[in-house]
Amino acid sequence: MRNLVDSLQSPLYRRALLEAVLVGAVAGVVGVHVVLRRLPFFVVAMSHATFPGVAIASALGISLFLGGSAYGLVVVAAVLVLGANRALDDASVIGVVLAGSFALGVLVVSAQPGSSRDLSAFLVGSVLTVTPADVVTTVVVGAGVLGVLGFLQKELVLGAFDRSGASALGYRGWVLDAIVLVAVTLTMVTAIPAVGTLLAVALLTVPALTARLWVDRVGAAIAVAAFVGALSGVLGLFAAAIWSIAAGGAIALATGVCFLVSLAVTASRNRTGRRLPGRAGGVAA
Amino acid sequence: MWGLFFEPFQLGYMRRALAEVVILGVLGGVVGVHVLLRRLAFLTEVVQHTVFPGIAIAFALDQSLLAGALVAGIVAIILYTFGARRVDSNALMALLISTFFALGVVVVSRRTGYQSDLTALLFGRILSVDQRELLDTLVIGVVSVVLLVVLHKELVLRAFDPLGSEAMGYPTIALDLVVNVVVMLTVVAAVRAVGTVLVVAFIVTPAATARLLCRRITPMMIVAAALGALGGWLGLVVSYEGSIHHGWRLASGATIVLVLTAGFLLVAAGRAVAVRVRRPQMAMAPA
Repeated sequence: MRNLVDSLQSPLYRRALLEAVLVGAVAGVVGVHVVLRRLPFFVVAMSHATFPGVAIASALGISLFLGGSAYGLVVVAAVLVLGANRALDDASVIGVVLAGSFALGVLVVSAQPGSSRDLSAFLVGSVLTVTPADVVTTVVVGAGVLGVLGFLQKELVLGAFDRSGASALGYRGWVLDAIVLVAVTLTMVTAIPAVGTLLAVALLTVPALTARLWVDRVGAAIAVAAFVGALSGVLGLFAAAIWSIAAGGAIALATGVCFLVSLAVTASRNRTGRRLPGRAGGVAA
Repeated sequence: MWGLFFEPFQLGYMRRALAEVVILGVLGGVVGVHVLLRRLAFLTEVVQHTVFPGIAIAFALDQSLLAGALVAGIVAIILYTFGARRVDSNALMALLISTFFALGVVVVSRRTGYQSDLTALLFGRILSVDQRELLDTLVIGVVSVVLLVVLHKELVLRAFDPLGSEAMGYPTIALDLVVNVVVMLTVVAAVRAVGTVLVVAFIVTPAATARLLCRRITPMMIVAAALGALGGWLGLVVSYEGSIHHGWRLASGATIVLVLTAGFLLVAAGRAVAVRVRRPQMAMAPA
């Protein structure tokens, strides 16, 4: 506990808290759309796909954000082109492309001196060293992503639940899909300084799944997911200060703990029969 | 010229590394065809991330990494089986991947100077494989391949016609379990060599390449095994050449995976060209 009190007096730690809360809240909201559209595998894929882009950008000294996003788009294109080959299913093609591009990232990073430290910073983040510029990027990108998702909420939810209905009403399905995919990619790249590429998956899926255990309506799920994401950021950073463990890992683990606790609490609630938010007719059945 | 391909293996540690990648290449190729048939690529990805905390804990306690990985893999499969009743299974896999991985990171980070340990666990240390680990890999490889060969007919039937195989009275749950356990064993065996995040390449990439080259399952397995072993050998040669003679510091595990990926891309491109060349004739045929 004394460690925690000491840490709270450091401006670096307070900035890290701010960043973790912002990233957690934005990723929580985006995560609801991820779960609604059954995109968790895409999130896992993008977490591997953005890594080489970030590594190359860092080697060349250009913006990590730019590198990660650009490479992510290249990977999406590669998956689409190779996936057109009917001999292979999508998951296999994605597996091949991801492992290959991940290995490329490892080679790029390992070719530089002092590579272990850089490599682990990309993979599991380094929230205690975020810069004010990182926080500003998070605020700007987060506000933009949340603004677009909020503005299009009705259309996005309709598209997720009733694809043919949405296209009958004249909405273009692929445009809605593309908007969600781009939002996911941007959020992931924004989360890299805080939790790294691999652990951003946790923030983009687990708070939304946790929300799904508590509530059935999309609007309520978004609020709960944002809360759980921000709470995980705070809990993770507290745990990191108290037990001196890696902050990125602790934040991701905190989302898992929130999920487990919710699972236990809602299971007992179901058993007493007061309310049955069963699988049928739910937000993300 | 040919000396290039054999010279590195005069060193004892390079010979052990070669033996390890050849065994893993053959094993990965054979298992990979089953993964492809059953569309289990995502499951493989899940297993490779979920064994990570087991390895990290075993590493911190100085226990056998193999035992740690096995325990974590079993816990993950149990959690998955029960969790899938309440949550969408795809989302549950993402949850297991990220939280198990985070647990591993947290465990490793308790040690000082953890970044280099973390890197070793994530990307493997194929050049420091010792006799004992080689023996472990060989035993796992032989057991897995024998299981798959003995049950070949039943497993293929189950993959192509699940209902038919159930109607014929085969124990389908047991057959599914065999495939899942063999995938887990392969991941566990390969983790020490190529690390947690690159294992999937050993299993999925050679099999996907072989799928582009053959239509029948047995030749596909033989080609996949050969490609896996060949890719391992070439990858070791390239990383040795680059590191010793050119000073490029090529990580061996990642180089092997890139060689496998390059093979896949070459075959995919060759196939696309072949289809393009053949198509005009096919279009003429009906006329």
